[in-house]
Amino acid sequence: MFQVLLINGLILGGVYALIALGYSLIYKASGLLNFAQGDFITFGAFMGYFFYDTLKLPFVVAMLLTFLVAFVLGMFLEKFVIRILLSKGVIAIYIVLATIAVSFIIQNAMQMLFGTTTLRFPPVFSKGTWKILGINAQSEAWFCLFVSLLLMVVLHFFVTKTKFGTAMRGAAMDAKAAESCGINTSLTTGVTWGISAAIAGLGGILIGPMYGVFTTIGANLGRKGFGGAVIGGYGNMYGAMIGGMLLGLVETFVAGYWMGTYKNMIAYIVLLLFLFVKPTGITNEKAIKDV
Amino acid sequence: MNSIKNKNIPKYLIYTVLILALPFLIQMISGTTYLVMILCISLLYMIAVTGLDLLFGYSGQISMGHAAFFTIGAYTTGLLNHYFDMPLWLTIPIGCILPTIIGTILAIPASKLKFHFLSLATIAFGEITYYFLYTSPGGFTFDFKGIGAKPISFLGQNYIKWYFFLLVITIIVFVFKTYLVNSKVGRNFIAIRENTHAADGMGINVRKYKVIAFTVSAFLTGLAGSIYVHFIQYISPESAQQKQSVLFLTMLLFGGTTSIPGTIIGVLFIEFLLELIRPLQEYQMLIYGIMLLVVVVALPGGIYGGFKDLAAKIRGRKKAGTDKTDGKANAG
Repeated sequence: MFQVLLINGLILGGVYALIALGYSLIYKASGLLNFAQGDFITFGAFMGYFFYDTLKLPFVVAMLLTFLVAFVLGMFLEKFVIRILLSKGVIAIYIVLATIAVSFIIQNAMQMLFGTTTLRFPPVFSKGTWKILGINAQSEAWFCLFVSLLLMVVLHFFVTKTKFGTAMRGAAMDAKAAESCGINTSLTTGVTWGISAAIAGLGGILIGPMYGVFTTIGANLGRKGFGGAVIGGYGNMYGAMIGGMLLGLVETFVAGYWMGTYKNMIAYIVLLLFLFVKPTGITNEKAIKDV
Repeated sequence: MNSIKNKNIPKYLIYTVLILALPFLIQMISGTTYLVMILCISLLYMIAVTGLDLLFGYSGQISMGHAAFFTIGAYTTGLLNHYFDMPLWLTIPIGCILPTIIGTILAIPASKLKFHFLSLATIAFGEITYYFLYTSPGGFTFDFKGIGAKPISFLGQNYIKWYFFLLVITIIVFVFKTYLVNSKVGRNFIAIRENTHAADGMGINVRKYKVIAFTVSAFLTGLAGSIYVHFIQYISPESAQQKQSVLFLTMLLFGGTTSIPGTIIGVLFIEFLLELIRPLQEYQMLIYGIMLLVVVVALPGGIYGGFKDLAAKIRGRKKAGTDKTDGKANAG
């Protein structure tokens, strides 16, 4: 029981961490909330299904293509929706509403293209289960966990060790100062949105084989994923990773041992608790408080 | 003041006649009562959107969980009537009071949160409400099946009667809103919206007035919900979800905030638009999403605001000459 819950919690946590990372990166770079983040998971899951099952491409290629397509979509969203609204100087609620509209569009476009039934993602590995550290679990589950952890490590090195990553952090810290140092902040902001969308898309193709592919798969995970970002301290990249993992573990264990019927409420209760009691999260990120 | 009123009397008379004749006209033209029903739902939504306007438009606080108050109001009156057979004139007020209390309790910690995070807190509240109603302890809310409710006895299923009943309530709500926003409380709301720190410095108890705004808003939305359930005679947990809250918000922003005509136009436009594209079935939400995006990107200021700008521009051209001379006179 404990082992099963642990592995399930870690997998769910990995996915939450990917979503929370997207929220935090975008908040740092643009100071905005992206309500379409979860739907990039849906998008990624359907794209993965399309590349892997319909076009019969190898899984790794399907993953890379999904990553790329989601990246482009994320950049596109920033360039043609968010940027236009920001340049008009509208109040924040219109940007929130625009991202919600995008989330409606993604959900319903996927429904139009692929139908309303839950699609079964064909198995990725020939061997059904892997036994690692004495824990036996579905091979796709292990894979999902490894890739999400790997992605976090890669992202860490990308933003700290590469020139572009440093530029991204600089632009997020102070756009004007970064601009005067010769950083193309328009590009870095676009790329940040692209990366956020891409990692969520990758999350989609990773959980597709476990949960099946349907149009609201991402919307629910995306809403709950806010909890991960808030727990970690909204806007803090590492906080988001830890917060996402914690949220996944808490949700799985609380549901497993105590309130199974209210499984779906747990993430929201945790979110409310953190917002009300410790809004700056575990990394004490000063982003949230007012008055 | 009197002369202005006298000049407007014919205009108001036309409006009044139009509003009173509207359901009969619609029924005559369309031949069914269906559109009258949509009109009644629009009136109910206007009450809810008025509540949201007081919260967002006047005091600058966002809520993306208002549908939860609507649904709580509806379930309260429906369930009290079902289990205890209490009369509707008692259950509907309780259906207004419970969301008000819950709204106040939620607002006390939530009012310290900044815009984006307040929206997260309200989303969480909406989803918790949804899951609670969906899998309630002992199934007392009938879970996913939703609940049925009796119609209000003297109105029955007669949509024309309902229209006038709801019209009276909506007008009372509008009068109440006008009175409230022109009072000290309303001015405090606006001060908080414009600059929280300055309002604090002027001696306004920011937290208190933020909570008041939330309370009043929850009350109006709960009122709309508790009447809605007796009109439609059914409610399901889905109405507490984010989608419905976003619908209210869209209606408010579409028409433009802080104005009663804006609320009326926004609600009617969105409600009838959704009806218009309903035959497209599975494309309905896709088209709704695309239109929403286009409007937000092209017309942020709402339809009513857009028209007002346009009207001001046209009038501005005529006035431009006189304005210039005025400016010179002032400068001189």
